[in-house]
Amino acid sequence: MLLNPLTLHSPKTVSEAAKLYKELEDVKVLAGGTFLLNSLKLLKTKGTKTSKNILSLAQVDELKGMRADAHGLTIKAMTSITEIFESPLLVDNFQIIRTVCRNISTTPIRNMASFGGNLTCRYTWTEMPVVMIALNATMYFMSPQGAVSQISAEDFFKNNARSEHLFTHVVIPRETQARLVYRRVRKMSEVDQPLLTLCVKTTLPEKQWTKTRIVINTGSAFAQRDYQLEEFLNGKDLSSTLGQEALDHLTTTIYDTRSNEYKQHMFRVCLRQAIEGICTSN
Amino acid sequence: MKTKMTQEYVDPVGKSVPRIDGRGIVTGQTKYAFDVSFPNMLVGKMLRSPHAHAKIISIDTSKAEALPGVKAVITARDTHLIKFGSNEYFFPHTVDQMALEVDKVRYIGDEIGAVAAVDEETANEALKLIDVQYEILPAVFDIEEAIKPTAPMIHDSLNNLAVILPVNFGNPERVMKEADYVREDKFWCPVAHPAPLEPHVCVGQWETFANKITLWSSSQAPFKCREALAKTLKMDLNDVRVIKMAVGGGFGGKLEMLPMDFAACLLSKKSGGLPVKICYTREEEFIASRRKHGMIYKIKTGVKKDGTILAITGEVLADGGAYCSYGPTVLAASMMRIFMVYKIQHFRMSGYRIYTNNPISGAMRGFGGVQSGFAVESHMDMIANDLGMDPIEFRLKNITTPNMVTVNKMLLTTNGLRECIEKAKDASGWDKKRGQQKNICRGIGIGIAADVMGSKMYKSHESAGAIVKVEEDGSVYLFTGAADTGQGSNTALSQIAAQELGVSYSRIKCKSGDTEITPFDTGSFASRVTFISGNAALLGGRDAKLQILEIVAKEHNLNIADLDIKAEKVIFRKDGKVLMSFDKALELCYSFNYGKQIIGRGSYNPKTTPIDFRTGEGNVSGSYGFEAQIAEVEVNKETGEVKVLDIWDAHDIGKAINPQSVESQIEGSLAMGLGYTFYEDMKFKNGRVLNANFANYRVARSIGLPKMHTILIETNDPEGPFGAKGMGEASLLPTSAAIANAVEDAIGVRIKDLPITPDKIIKALKEKQAQTTAKA
Amino acid sequence: MHIQLTINKKLYDLQLKGHETLLEVLRDQLSLTGTKSACQESECGTCTVIINGKAVLSCISLAANLDGAEIRTIEGLADGDVLHPVQKAFVEQGSVQCGFCIPGMIMSATALLEKNPTPTQTEVEYALDGNICRCAGYPKIFDAVHAAGKEMKEQQG
Repeated sequence: MLLNPLTLHSPKTVSEAAKLYKELEDVKVLAGGTFLLNSLKLLKTKGTKTSKNILSLAQVDELKGMRADAHGLTIKAMTSITEIFESPLLVDNFQIIRTVCRNISTTPIRNMASFGGNLTCRYTWTEMPVVMIALNATMYFMSPQGAVSQISAEDFFKNNARSEHLFTHVVIPRETQARLVYRRVRKMSEVDQPLLTLCVKTTLPEKQWTKTRIVINTGSAFAQRDYQLEEFLNGKDLSSTLGQEALDHLTTTIYDTRSNEYKQHMFRVCLRQAIEGICTSN
Repeated sequence: MKTKMTQEYVDPVGKSVPRIDGRGIVTGQTKYAFDVSFPNMLVGKMLRSPHAHAKIISIDTSKAEALPGVKAVITARDTHLIKFGSNEYFFPHTVDQMALEVDKVRYIGDEIGAVAAVDEETANEALKLIDVQYEILPAVFDIEEAIKPTAPMIHDSLNNLAVILPVNFGNPERVMKEADYVREDKFWCPVAHPAPLEPHVCVGQWETFANKITLWSSSQAPFKCREALAKTLKMDLNDVRVIKMAVGGGFGGKLEMLPMDFAACLLSKKSGGLPVKICYTREEEFIASRRKHGMIYKIKTGVKKDGTILAITGEVLADGGAYCSYGPTVLAASMMRIFMVYKIQHFRMSGYRIYTNNPISGAMRGFGGVQSGFAVESHMDMIANDLGMDPIEFRLKNITTPNMVTVNKMLLTTNGLRECIEKAKDASGWDKKRGQQKNICRGIGIGIAADVMGSKMYKSHESAGAIVKVEEDGSVYLFTGAADTGQGSNTALSQIAAQELGVSYSRIKCKSGDTEITPFDTGSFASRVTFISGNAALLGGRDAKLQILEIVAKEHNLNIADLDIKAEKVIFRKDGKVLMSFDKALELCYSFNYGKQIIGRGSYNPKTTPIDFRTGEGNVSGSYGFEAQIAEVEVNKETGEVKVLDIWDAHDIGKAINPQSVESQIEGSLAMGLGYTFYEDMKFKNGRVLNANFANYRVARSIGLPKMHTILIETNDPEGPFGAKGMGEASLLPTSAAIANAVEDAIGVRIKDLPITPDKIIKALKEKQAQTTAKA
Repeated sequence: MHIQLTINKKLYDLQLKGHETLLEVLRDQLSLTGTKSACQESECGTCTVIINGKAVLSCISLAANLDGAEIRTIEGLADGDVLHPVQKAFVEQGSVQCGFCIPGMIMSATALLEKNPTPTQTEVEYALDGNICRCAGYPKIFDAVHAAGKEMKEQQG
């Protein structure tokens, strides 16, 4: 017996799921299961009690899939990472999501893992947060009463990824002129958990950095923006030295708190390369 | 034979015939010990110490025994309190482990008891109910701390020295003074883990009235396991049957009896004869099996300015963990392999295997040769660089030759090392690349190594036996004690037996590693199987052939010396004229007038000499294998990442019995060597393994491997079966050094403690930059 | 609770308590021991099976959550005693060493090739990145995948 006894609840609609999420005591949500099942097994081996109620979203078809229109892309919570990776809807600024998906874990995990899980699981090191914040995504939730609420991804993570309601989908505004770079640096000795992830986004009307977002994830805190660096970059012309200059305008506490020397070094290398990349390829 | 026989499998030696067990594996049909299940089988679990070093004051098992569903609980008081070890013949004082400890525990995970219950839940519950009172003792985890006189004593060895091996030849101190150049280096070789996919698992059954124990096991050395079980359970060898199932990888970790094997048997007895299965969790696999010895390797070499090595001195400190296991062999291998590769007359090295309260170190693939490969080959490369000499020229100047006796009396007969180096050099484009690619941070480096085929270190003999039984319908059994753990020995030995017997490979079925049915064999280690077990299979095939030819000769009034069996036909040796088919000859054997059972027997003990452990002198192997490995890397100076682009491995394997299998072994070893170089690093803190899972102990996967080019060099060894040597582990010996040497060529920094990680490269580059700025 | 699983085209009615992983159901309840387990932490890939054409890990799949699913394991690939092209290629190319990773590796390869019988080398490497082969027989495993793909494409066309 690898898991503690549990009761599986399998609602068929979002509203049913949202209701159960509030009503059930001692409940965990089962989306892709790639985090939850490992966690349940590990806690059992340590003798820790685990949640009695498991709320599975596997049969909630309303939570599966993606759709796009002229204004934006919708990704629903139960879409698997592989489905997102293979989606023909990832054009314009959404292309960066394919890069992110490619670098998440391994193939069978990608086949099982859900978008919602990677975004809202509250492990600080997952990959989707930085890119959702960079893309200015809006996250949607459903209350037990069926009311829909929304919050920007940025604010969601400022609030330490806490929510009482069931996450249902994101809507990402389409920006045909946006330029994005995503970097994920692996820890040498580990397969899954990255050393750091970051995403740089800007638009370049008249070849000047505008509406820049620099989103950083150190793995030890939730994804956040470096406003100081963004301010420095906004209004700057494209130049091959901009990346190097930018390094003098970092909010160093973001990068250097609880980071070893190598991590601090890699942040600077990745940022510089990302900024240079955007400058030189446009 | 009724089943279809393919002509293409006639004369199978040298052909890449498909694995004899291939179809079973790809359909999921092949059973591993992991899959074994019986009715009423109990689940066994080991009770482990949570402390790194403690006295056992008392153990109260009453509550556990009373738990419903628990069928047996054992502790040391249920045993005969007999110790076991792995190198007892030459090092009796290293027999230091008890199946269940009675006085003390010496590492976190040390076994002191076991339970058997109806299911895993109950067994785990029962473990929690065993009340153990410990008196915690001070522990020591660092080897340099452990040898101090003030360190806590783990066993009865002064300064926690489990084994001291001095290796002394000539007068190195005097000769060193005559050297034109002397270089001294210190290296850290980290701890890796065999981490086979199939964990340690066994099912034990004790039939008390028949006085018979059966153990279904995932073992590389079923006979060694049997021996230890018989010793600790006070049974005769024929009371104990160890059945090796298909094994999901061993890599040196499954070479001995572990407490779990003992416990499965004893629990079965105590439960009234029910079968008991004990299966390691992945965490247990990391902490409570056998790991690699972490080593501090110090080496000092004096050379003439033309590169000739004059003298070598040094010291090896090995972290042995809590018990001895194969420690002496590993320590010996870490020093003596140098003699197989370089011509040396003056040499003094002392090896120390030190007890610590860390998990137990054993014989992981490479047996100490991986650590010495990294240290020695990096060191030699650095000397070549200091002398301004091409590293390949330096190697060629000093390597051993065919048909020579080394200073420690190793008899090197066939020796393809020069050819290996030259072929690897040509294939890799060495001349164009060495020192030329610094602008794009590419570099190329070489490492060389040699391998033994067996090492008579744990018993007085190392013989292997084989039986070739020819059935009436022409189908053939090969019984061999050799333990196929995935390297393909069942296949290769079947090829050898078929070739010698003169028949097609399709006739052969191979039964291996069952101590009740197959003849003795020491096991799969030290790359010995093709050579030693192969010779036994050859002799078995030959004996069967002679039994058949004796009858043919008698029937046709011929001289047996004039006949042979080749390619399914009985022929005249002189001109190859066919007398009759193999099937016809067999018909004759089983006919009314003869009725002779054809049972061929083979026994082979390699011609070696015992090692004198005061000096290190001794011809340890019947033959020696050689290789040269060249690695080309690309270093990203900004991120510190090292990408290995290509690796060329030129290997003297004597003769490739099955080229596909040999290549697989080379490629597989090489990838493990890559792992050791970059990311396999067991981390400990106060005796606790911090990364006891695959998420944090990374092994080679499908992404990021270099292009591997294998070059097989056939020197046709006079002693090996059809000229074959062995190939099991050699390709991971020089890999780390070849890569470290290539990194030096690319960016001019030297990494001396593995693994090579991006942060070390960045740090080294920064230091180099600071030095250059300081000089300027 | 009662669920139905179709495994290798055979319908099974199962009584579950709810906490069973798919791997436990396959190995312990149905004695389909071809699918292996080596880590119980979704790292090694030996438990890989195919559900809805995708390679997934049975050790982190809750069986009760798969009611009505169609599952393929290694035991279901061969057609009678005729090996599936992927199985055949693994034998012929010498890709099998200790074999413990092979069932999972073959399932991952089959999932890839059924979708795309002519993958690039990079695509093969990615498709197999969840399957550890500790014997590290990767080069010959890659050879087998490419060879099997060729045969499957020929069979299609």
